[in-house]
Amino acid sequence: MYILGISCFYHDSAACLLKDGKIIAAAEEERFTRRKHDTSFPINAINYCLKEAGITGEQLGRVGFYEKPLLKFERLLHQHIEMFPKSFPTFYQALPSWINEKLRVPSIIKKKMKYKKGIMFVEHHMAHAASSYLVSPFKKAAILTVDGVGEWATTTMGYAKENDITILKQIKFPHSLGLLYSTVTAHLGFSVNNSEYKVMGLSPYGKPTYYEQFKKMMDIKEDGSYSLDMSYFDFHYKNTMPSKKFIKEFGPIRKPEEKVTEHHQNMAATLQKITEEVIFKMLNHLHEITKCDNLCMAGGVALNSVANGKILKNTPFKEIYIQPAAGDHGASIGVAKYIHYTILGNEREETQETAYLGPGFTTEEIKKFLDEYKINYTSFKNDEELVKKTAELIYKDNVVGWFQGRMEWGPRALGSRSILSNACNPKMQDILNLKVKHREKFRPFAPVVPEEDAKGYFECDEPVPIPTDFMLMVYPIKKDKQKLVPAVTHVDGSGRLQTIRKQHNPLYHGIIKEFEKFTKVPILINTSFNVRGEPIVCTPLDAYRCMMGTGIDCLVMDKFLIKREDNPQHMWDSEKYAKD
Amino acid sequence: MKNENLFVKGFKTGFKTFGYKVTNVVNFALLSVVYFVGVGVTSFTAKLAKKRFLELKQEGKTYWKERNLGKQPLEDYYRQF
Repeated sequence: MYILGISCFYHDSAACLLKDGKIIAAAEEERFTRRKHDTSFPINAINYCLKEAGITGEQLGRVGFYEKPLLKFERLLHQHIEMFPKSFPTFYQALPSWINEKLRVPSIIKKKMKYKKGIMFVEHHMAHAASSYLVSPFKKAAILTVDGVGEWATTTMGYAKENDITILKQIKFPHSLGLLYSTVTAHLGFSVNNSEYKVMGLSPYGKPTYYEQFKKMMDIKEDGSYSLDMSYFDFHYKNTMPSKKFIKEFGPIRKPEEKVTEHHQNMAATLQKITEEVIFKMLNHLHEITKCDNLCMAGGVALNSVANGKILKNTPFKEIYIQPAAGDHGASIGVAKYIHYTILGNEREETQETAYLGPGFTTEEIKKFLDEYKINYTSFKNDEELVKKTAELIYKDNVVGWFQGRMEWGPRALGSRSILSNACNPKMQDILNLKVKHREKFRPFAPVVPEEDAKGYFECDEPVPIPTDFMLMVYPIKKDKQKLVPAVTHVDGSGRLQTIRKQHNPLYHGIIKEFEKFTKVPILINTSFNVRGEPIVCTPLDAYRCMMGTGIDCLVMDKFLIKREDNPQHMWDSEKYAKD
Repeated sequence: MKNENLFVKGFKTGFKTFGYKVTNVVNFALLSVVYFVGVGVTSFTAKLAKKRFLELKQEGKTYWKERNLGKQPLEDYYRQF
C-alpha cells in the first residue's frame, strides 16, 4: 500500500511517499519551485513522489497531513481574543489564507491530486515524534520535540515502545524555546525561519554576558520546563517578534548587512547557552521519567547541531537519533510512518540511514541535457578515474560542484548536491566566499570525513551516532589536528562534521580517501550546492546554471566533467538572484 | 489585430487589478466587522468574566502540562480537530 505524507502552509512544504512502509521518495517543494522555504501546497514534490513510484494519486492507499488545522485555528482565535484589539493587523493579514487554504486542506488535496478517500490528520508534535522514532533503529525510546509552535504545543516529551508513541507532557504556546530563538534571530537582523543556524554559527565568537538578563525574561525550572515573560515579546499578536521592552533591554534591531559587533556575538552566545541549558535539563528530566537510554529528537530546535553534539556528554542518554529533516519538512515522513505503523499496526522494519530520497537523473538523461544545451564536457572512463581526477582537482584548490545520484532530503547537502573543496588550505574559506557563497565571514564551512576516520580528528561520541551522517552534530576538532584542516575549524575549535559510510555513498567516500593520498588528511569541505538565497540545486540545469553564474571551477555530474572555462559564461548569471 | 490583442490584454489586466482592489476593500470591511464584533465582543465578555484565552503568565513548580496523548480511535484521525 502507498501512503503519502504532506506538510505545508507554514514553512518548508514537503511530501513523502511510502510503499509498504518503506520510504520510496521524499522532497521539499522549494527544490522544485526554487523559492527557499516554500510554504505552498507541495504539488511538485507530490508529483515527483508519485512519478518515482510510477503511480497516480488515485492509487494512493492513504494520505496524511502533518497537523490538525482546526486545533491550530482555535489557537489563532484564542490569540486574537486575548490580544484584542492589538492583533487586528495580523488578523487581517492571516485570515484570508486560513479561509482560502489552511481550513480547506481536504478539498485542496482531493482537487489537486484526484484523490477520493478521506484525509488523515495527525497532531503536529506527534508527527514530529513519529518522524524521528519510527525511522530510528530503536524499539523503545524517549522522545523530545521542540519547535516554534504546532497547534498548541511548542515542546513535548514522550515515550515510545514498538509501534506506539505516547506524548506525556507538553509546554503550550506562547511559551516557546523555538520562538525565543527566532526572536533573537530577528533582533540580530537575520531572517526568521531561515537564519537561525547563522545565530548558532555566530555564538562561539561571543561570551554569554547577557545571561542574567535572559534569565529575567525566561524562568527555567529544574525539570527543564520554562515560561517566557511575554512583555519581552510581540510574536503572539504581531509579525515582529521582539517587543519595545526587549529592544530597550538589548538595544535596537540590527539592520541586515549592518556590521556584526561584539554585542551581537554576545547575544548569540547567551542564547545558545540558554538553549543548551533548557535542552539538557529537559533531557535529564525525560530520562528520569522514562528510564530509557535511547533518545529521539525532532522539531526545528533539533537542528541545533551545537547543542546536539553535547547531549550524550551532558545527559544520561546513551544513544541518539535525529532524522535529517528534523523541522516541519520531516513531519511529512512522520505522518506517513505514523499511519503505517501506529494506526495500521504494521511491523516495523526500516531505519533511515541515508538522506538520498529526492530526484535522481540517469546518465542518459544528463548526457541528453548536456547535448541539448550544447555544453562542452568530457567523460570519465570509469568510477576509478572519476574519483582520482576529482580528488586531484580538489587538491589543486579547485572548487568542485558535485552532482551525483538522488538529491538529499533535509536542509543539508550530504554528498549528492554538494560543493567540495580543499579543507587543508587556510585560504579556502575566503576563496569559497569570493567565488560562490558570499556569506557572512563568521560562518564556518563544514567538514566531511569517512566514519572510520572521524575519531582520529574529532572528539566525537563513540560509536559515532547516526545523526552525524546528517551533519547534525558539532564536535571539537582534536587540538593537534586543527592546524591540518584550518578551513573547517571554527573559532572555538569545533567542526560541524558530516561522517560518510562507504556503503551509503561509495563515490563520495572514495574521493575523500583519494584526497587523503595527496594530503594525508581524509577531510574535505562540503558545503551546499546553491547560490546564496536559493535552495540547493535539484536538476542538472540548476547545477549548471549555479556553476556558470558563480566561480565554481568545474562540475562533476554523474560521469561527466564540465569545466566553467570551457563554456560561455555570459549566458548564465545566477549571481543576480542572490538575496540572503 | 496586434493592437486589438494589446487592448484586450490591457483591459483584462486593468480589470484584474480593479478586481483585486475591490476584493481588498470588501475583505477589509468584512474582516473588520468579524474582528471588532465577533472577536471584540468575545474578548470583552471574557475579560469581564476573567477568562483567559492565552496563559501569558504562568506559576507553579513546573510548567509542564500533562498530556498522555497516545493512539486514538481510527475515526479521530479523519477529523481536523
